[in-house]
Amino acid sequence: MEKPHIKDMRRILIASANPLYGKGLEKLLTQKAGGILPDIRIASTMAETLAMLEEWKPDLVIVDYDDRTIDRGQFLNQFIAGDRAMQVMLVSLKASGTAVVYDRRTLSPDQTQDWLQLPIESQPSQGSVHPRRSEGMKHFIIVAVLVAVSTVLVNLLLQNIGLLPVEASTQATIIDRLFNTHFLVISFLFSLIVVFLVYSLVVFRRRKEDAQQEGKFFKGSTRLEVLWTILPLGTVIYFSYLGSLSLAETRRVDPQALEVKVIGRQWSWTFEYPEFGIVSDTLQLPVNRQVLLKMTSEDVIHSFWVPEFRVKQDLLPGENLVKELRITPTIIGSYKVRCAELCGTLHAYMESPVVVVSDVDFQAWVDEEVKLLNADPATRGERVSKQNGCLACHSVDGTRLVGPSWLGLYESQRELADGTTVVADDAYLLNSIIKPNAHVVAGYPPGVMPQSYVDSLSDTQLSDIIAFIKTLK
Amino acid sequence: MKKVLSIGLVRGVLGQIVGTAVGIGLLTGIRALMGLGWKAEPAAVLGAFFGVFGFLIAVGSVSDWWKWAKGEETIEAEDFKDLPGVKRYYGVSLDHKVIGIQYGITSLILMAVGGTFALIFRTELAASGKQFLDFDLFNTLIGMHGMVLIISILLGIAAMSNYLVPLLIGAKDMAFPRLNAFGFWISVPGSLVLLSAIFVGGFDTGWTGYPPLSLRAPLGMQMFFVGVFFNGWSSILGALNLIATILKMRAKGMNMFRMPIFVWAVLATSIIALTATQLIGLSFQLVMFERLFGMPFFDATKGGNPILFQHLFWFYSHPAVYVFILPGLGIISELLPVFVRKPLFGYKWVAMSSMGIALTGFLVWGHHMFTAGIEEYLRVPFMYSTLLVAVPTGVKFFSWVATLWQGRIRFPVPMLFVLGGIVVFLLGGLTGPPNGTVSTDLHLHDTYFVVGHFHDTMFGGYIFPLFAAIYYWYPKITGRKLNDTLGKLHFYLMTPSFLVMTFGQMYIGMLGMRRRIADYDPAQGFDTSHLIITIAGFLIALSILFLFINLIRSAKHGEVAEGNIWESRSPEWTLLPSPAPAHNYDQDFRVVGDPYDYGLAGSRYIEPVLRPVGDD
Repeated sequence: MEKPHIKDMRRILIASANPLYGKGLEKLLTQKAGGILPDIRIASTMAETLAMLEEWKPDLVIVDYDDRTIDRGQFLNQFIAGDRAMQVMLVSLKASGTAVVYDRRTLSPDQTQDWLQLPIESQPSQGSVHPRRSEGMKHFIIVAVLVAVSTVLVNLLLQNIGLLPVEASTQATIIDRLFNTHFLVISFLFSLIVVFLVYSLVVFRRRKEDAQQEGKFFKGSTRLEVLWTILPLGTVIYFSYLGSLSLAETRRVDPQALEVKVIGRQWSWTFEYPEFGIVSDTLQLPVNRQVLLKMTSEDVIHSFWVPEFRVKQDLLPGENLVKELRITPTIIGSYKVRCAELCGTLHAYMESPVVVVSDVDFQAWVDEEVKLLNADPATRGERVSKQNGCLACHSVDGTRLVGPSWLGLYESQRELADGTTVVADDAYLLNSIIKPNAHVVAGYPPGVMPQSYVDSLSDTQLSDIIAFIKTLK
Repeated sequence: MKKVLSIGLVRGVLGQIVGTAVGIGLLTGIRALMGLGWKAEPAAVLGAFFGVFGFLIAVGSVSDWWKWAKGEETIEAEDFKDLPGVKRYYGVSLDHKVIGIQYGITSLILMAVGGTFALIFRTELAASGKQFLDFDLFNTLIGMHGMVLIISILLGIAAMSNYLVPLLIGAKDMAFPRLNAFGFWISVPGSLVLLSAIFVGGFDTGWTGYPPLSLRAPLGMQMFFVGVFFNGWSSILGALNLIATILKMRAKGMNMFRMPIFVWAVLATSIIALTATQLIGLSFQLVMFERLFGMPFFDATKGGNPILFQHLFWFYSHPAVYVFILPGLGIISELLPVFVRKPLFGYKWVAMSSMGIALTGFLVWGHHMFTAGIEEYLRVPFMYSTLLVAVPTGVKFFSWVATLWQGRIRFPVPMLFVLGGIVVFLLGGLTGPPNGTVSTDLHLHDTYFVVGHFHDTMFGGYIFPLFAAIYYWYPKITGRKLNDTLGKLHFYLMTPSFLVMTFGQMYIGMLGMRRRIADYDPAQGFDTSHLIITIAGFLIALSILFLFINLIRSAKHGEVAEGNIWESRSPEWTLLPSPAPAHNYDQDFRVVGDPYDYGLAGSRYIEPVLRPVGDD
């Protein structure tokens, strides 16, 4: 039987005619109880004891084992009659402080006999607390060692199997530091629960020889429950605090940041550099300089994510819902931005290259792009034609490819498949790009050229292409 | 023909078909009168609504109320007699045990369907590149996998609660037997409407149905909304019924802290389901109305806001996760003492931790939106509240471990699933905090890490405990035990496969595998991992097939279960024969002790109340 925890006992009655016994025990209990003092009363006669038992309803009665003034038979009759939880403890000073505890609800006839006959030597074995406790301690020490070993091993494993991509931004370094703290806590808690669990399954499993024996009876401990509520509470609050610091660090603002506008649509990305007036389908970034991404969507929700940079932000449709993200790339290389929010049919393929280059290379790229911007429309048109795949089917040197060559096309006479003839002026060229099947040149099959250019090319781009065609004489 | 029509389910389905036709006809007729032509979407939506009503009328789930409205008498629920044999399960019954089984079987069917969807798209994902699934079908399947299994879980919880709660608290039935039957029968046509989404164009939004994507999705989107809407009714009505039953119908002497711990879990779950389900119904209804009537709730160009939807949606859908897991955790706490032969450690704390989880669950929805573009300052308080959930969850784990400590542990099949549930849910719990702290979540959000984490919580918190409950109470339902060998095979195949699957998912997720993509870049090097995940997925399916075979086979050929086979202290095992008779206990009992005092010699939980002589 479990020794009652003094702390769980609110009301304790000491029954002894010996005043020294009562006072001494009271002092001892008060010291042991620590914070919450139990209510202790002393009864020195049989009548007083019975009256208190009836009216005051103590949780625990401590009976002087060596005192004959307390009639055991009478006491026992009273004790087993009630149905309120109550325990009795027999404490003997003569037998060097041994104690026997009985619960009123489980008192067996054998125990009653034992008690009435006062056989100090033949105490029930479960009454003796000391060997049990030391066995319990042994289990605890083994488990504690195993938990420590397991924590170290699991943490080592998590740190070394390569769970995170390359750390290619300042933000990634900050975030990975928090990840490592998480790994440590996960390793500890995992080990704590699993080691206790597995140890119990092995050591406390039912064995053949005691097939009908039940487990050790204990129902709980308020002290433990409070402990494992308060400690985790403190831990999670501290962890949230660490999380806040980490978040704040990833959002640290550099006033010199390079601003890039990111536009997402089903299912492609466009990047605009307002500082230079550049529009690109590749995100070019200088290394070690913060970039401020201002992001918006043209249709549904998308999400900007480069795993190597860690941070992620959704793009929302709506002019008033522009979202910002700050990234400082730290490693030169090629990455990919991939949409992380389900955005329809081709969501899987919504990706664009992200290129991190040195300052010098970035400046060179900017110069090149700007030069093209400021270049005459024909040069820009040549570039647009290349980027959009026009030149895969239309040669510029007169060679016959899938479509008619652009050489000498402008203002030439075109024989169409329906037998008519038209002059290839500006209007005709524009119409042929945006409605490729309206006027098909004789000898070429209809329906080959994509009909999507009307949406994907801007008006400037269209006129640039026509300007380029005009130069091909 | 008459014989076929005597089966309620058949009548119901016919009623649904007729109702759908009436709905479509009505709307098209009105439009024609107004001089408008055929329009599929409003017709289909009205048809779906009428179809559900048609089913309910034809199956007979509203006939008693109709009789009451007309002033006619109906029989009292306690005089209700079930049809003999399996026939009772095919029509309206007022017996909570029959309704529990109806819920259970529907849930298992949906589990098989939802699982099959997963097998199909897992096969597609076994290698990079496009194999055999068209992208739109892939997107439909991932959404259906999610929602069909969510419905399956809700119905599975309803099955456990319906069957067990009255038995555990010593009631003859649920508080409102007709409402109980209605709650079940509305989920059947609701689920049929949901499944019909595949055949009318599907939808490409996943189970979350975020606008503006859901505003542009095909017609299947609407069937998805309508199907979920009606299943939400089922959930709300069931929760209401359970709360009333638990609060008002307990046996004499069973004060709140002497209730079986599973009943506490059901109470906590029902409080969430009763108060939060409306929000998902509302959010889906708003999208439905935006599509049908052009009300621009979520259109930023017309003054709406797409983030609003996410707030409404997650205000239910996060607490819903606790609806899914709390009953399962209750099953773990309920069965553990039986097999450890020791009291549940810290009963009151375990009971209160369920309430604690339910309460904190309402405060954390924002963590689904850390990257969504909510106001920056909102992310920090949501981080604090999210991590707080760890505290009551921790209490459960520590109490379970302390319950195991110094027990005399037995390992029959239900106990295996209980232990599996604890470990798997632990993994789900421990992988939660990295999603909870904002900066790490910026990396993990919308990746396979979340997929792995979520499946850990669902399997640990629902699937494992559900299977434990099935193996444990099947003898009470059928009078026969499930086959032990098949049960062990089921457990020892499913558990390692499942761990491999979710570890694989979390691993590639951290390395950059996005959620919900139909294809992935081979350059990322995920091919091998995906292949392993797919194989593990098929092994899980195989193991569950063993369960299904076992369920069917053992009903006729299983070993007869007589008496208190688990040596439980619970009234359904100590007082009732197996299978449990109609209307449960023919003799009242009163509670005279604590429910889990295993190992306290001579103590009792309940004792029969003898009827006074002459009072008959």
